[in-house]
Amino acid sequence: MSLSTALNIAQSSLRATSLQTSVVSRNVSDAHDPDYARRAAVVASMAPGARVVEIQRSANEQLFRQYVAALSAWSGQSTLSSGMDRLQLAVNGADNSASASTAIGALQQALQFYATSPSNQSLGQSVIVAAQQVVRTLNDGTQALQDFRTQTDGEIATAVGELNNLLGQFEAANRAVVNGTRAGTDVSDALDQRDAILKKIAEYVPVSTFTRGDNDMVITTGDGTMLFETVPRTVSFTPSSGYAAGAQGNTIYIDNVPLSAGPANSAEANGKLAGMLQLRDGVASTMQAQLDEIARGLITAFAEGDPPDAAGLFTWSGAPAIPSSGTLVDGLAGQIRVNAAAANNPSLLRDGGINGAAYVVNSDGSSYADLLIAYSERLDEPMDFAPSAGITVTSSVTSYSANAIGWFEGVRQRAQVAADNKEALAARTAEALSNDTGVNVDNELALLLDLEHAYQASARVLNTVNQMLDSLLEAVR
Amino acid sequence: MKAVSVSSAAISNALRYSNARMQVDLVKAMKEMDTSRVADLGLALGARSAQSINFHRDIDRLQGIVDSNALVTSRLSSTQAALGNLSDFAQNLMSVLTTAISGDAAATTVRDTGTATLQSLTSILNTSVNGEYLFAGINTDTKPLADFSATSAAKIAFDTAFSNYFGFAQTDLQAANITAAQMTDFLNDPSVTDQFLGADWTNWSSATDQTITSRIALSDTSQTSVSANIDGVRKLAMAAAIVSDLFDANLSDGARQAVAQRALSLAGEATSDLTQTQAQTGIIEKRVSDASDRMTMQIDLFNRHILDLEGVDGYEVANRVNDLVAHIQTSYELTARIQQLSLLNFLT
Repeated sequence: MSLSTALNIAQSSLRATSLQTSVVSRNVSDAHDPDYARRAAVVASMAPGARVVEIQRSANEQLFRQYVAALSAWSGQSTLSSGMDRLQLAVNGADNSASASTAIGALQQALQFYATSPSNQSLGQSVIVAAQQVVRTLNDGTQALQDFRTQTDGEIATAVGELNNLLGQFEAANRAVVNGTRAGTDVSDALDQRDAILKKIAEYVPVSTFTRGDNDMVITTGDGTMLFETVPRTVSFTPSSGYAAGAQGNTIYIDNVPLSAGPANSAEANGKLAGMLQLRDGVASTMQAQLDEIARGLITAFAEGDPPDAAGLFTWSGAPAIPSSGTLVDGLAGQIRVNAAAANNPSLLRDGGINGAAYVVNSDGSSYADLLIAYSERLDEPMDFAPSAGITVTSSVTSYSANAIGWFEGVRQRAQVAADNKEALAARTAEALSNDTGVNVDNELALLLDLEHAYQASARVLNTVNQMLDSLLEAVR
Repeated sequence: MKAVSVSSAAISNALRYSNARMQVDLVKAMKEMDTSRVADLGLALGARSAQSINFHRDIDRLQGIVDSNALVTSRLSSTQAALGNLSDFAQNLMSVLTTAISGDAAATTVRDTGTATLQSLTSILNTSVNGEYLFAGINTDTKPLADFSATSAAKIAFDTAFSNYFGFAQTDLQAANITAAQMTDFLNDPSVTDQFLGADWTNWSSATDQTITSRIALSDTSQTSVSANIDGVRKLAMAAAIVSDLFDANLSDGARQAVAQRALSLAGEATSDLTQTQAQTGIIEKRVSDASDRMTMQIDLFNRHILDLEGVDGYEVANRVNDLVAHIQTSYELTARIQQLSLLNFLT
């Protein structure tokens, strides 16, 4: 041992301290970047006095995975839930004021008043107005639903484009990590960037990852489709320019494997893409089917003839025939109209004969109410509905239209509750991850104080050794 | 070594999430306080929304029927009053006819009473309520009862029947030779009775036998008008018509007595028939008012159910708002304090 060794050790300590200080300052500067993982400068002693500083990135694989999973669950669920809020307003209106159920209620009331004074033409006219309102509700509902599906389709196309873009970025980030690892340089920044991109990818599709040699990462979707392996796999989707009731939307393909939207109408979605697929093909399609069934129920309830065999007050493209019982007719809610003959002469509704003289029931006088009462009763009589529309197979038109709202609100409630839960989970895991891998500025400052002391001490050692050497040289002179 | 760690970002974001939640809740709670109903019905009730919608629709429907029952009630009470008037006129006619039979009344008085009864009958039966003829059956656009004037179908038919039976008109001098028995036979002859009690009543009435059907409760319909074709009206019309027509004719006292006898018995039958119709109308009136009462009760009940489903406890909401405001204030204060809490402030 000699003074020069002491000098060397102090020098190496100074170097180590300044390196550590630079890490601390980096930590402090990025303390509020959620994608930044704290670096730790670990000092190791090699030969006596010789010190190396190794920079370690604090990562918690387990927590990160949990966070990424929570993120895609929340992202999908909030897409689903906010989409349903939009649908609710677009189709049923505020407080269900624009719903078919409300309009049918008003129609039934108008019928009741007309039936009480059947000779009053203006009451007959008000039945027609109420019927037109019902038709408008169904037509507008169909329009809103199909617009919604088309819009969602466009959003899916945009999202798929973004996902492809992110996968491209991921490739670059992954290459930087792999190259850096092979070269043995510090890859912390590249890892941060790669994790940040992965978080964004997870918002679109649920992912699971595994890391191979040289930190090379492979991404598969939740159900095992390869998303990234050395090079990104293509995510492809062809948007449709418009939707008709009953038409199925196009599928998203990842690496030529169709992406699953999850179980239909389960109100659970994992990843934004799955959420949008469910909205487009699940909820919106089922609502459309229910509107179509309501339209069919109305045409049937107001059919003329004994037994009823011709479309009466409400008509459709297949008139004068009435749609066959218990069978869904796609897009019927968009086709239903108020019969022009009845609209021009409301008393045809009272006396029968919208379909011509053969269907006239009353020619005795203008206070005949039996037919009007019969129509009103038929709205309350149970009939068969197509099971594919998702609700009660046998019920009256009026309660079916109410149940349609009940069904939707049930799904919406489940989606909302799940979204709240998943949001809380995502917030909690984000917090846990941040606690585990984030920077605490106070810690860093305390560390800085230590480093300052160490630096001061080393400097003092240098100074002392210098003085000792000086006095030695003085003695020699 | 890292025993417990908390990151600076986590500290400053600690209250952000819960604060946002609380603000969302505050908006909802304030809306609930304002409306006394849950803020988002669909989210609060979920699949049970259908129940609330059904209740609302049922209330609207019941209210509609209660409202339309008011119309029905006014029609029925007008009918009841009219029937009462008819009954009074029948009684009046009977008393005059009784005097006529005992020979104490002048023929002209009796004739005038008959004519007056007939006119009143016509005007009462042609009453209209809300622009609908009350006694027209379902043919409410047409005046149910025609006048009994020289040119009316009813008068012509009656004159034809007379001249066919006797071979001369009522005003002919030979009419004085008609005996009481002949007159009685004539008045019981189908050619006369059919005009009133049979198919030829159409000369008089354009009302339909079918009366107005109304829904008076959710699952209850009822006939809510009376037709001019009921027996009481026909008999009273016949009594009044033969009196007003034949007492004007050139008849012997005996024949007149026969006419009065026949008219008296017809008016008697008419009175009892009208009373019966009045009773039936009364029963329907009672049914309608009972149904309205029942439905009003149902509406109250449904409203209470709706309140159970959708309503919020105002006291509870007010407390919730206060709590939330206090919490949010606390969280603001904490955030401000935490921001100050940094080692930086203590290092010099």
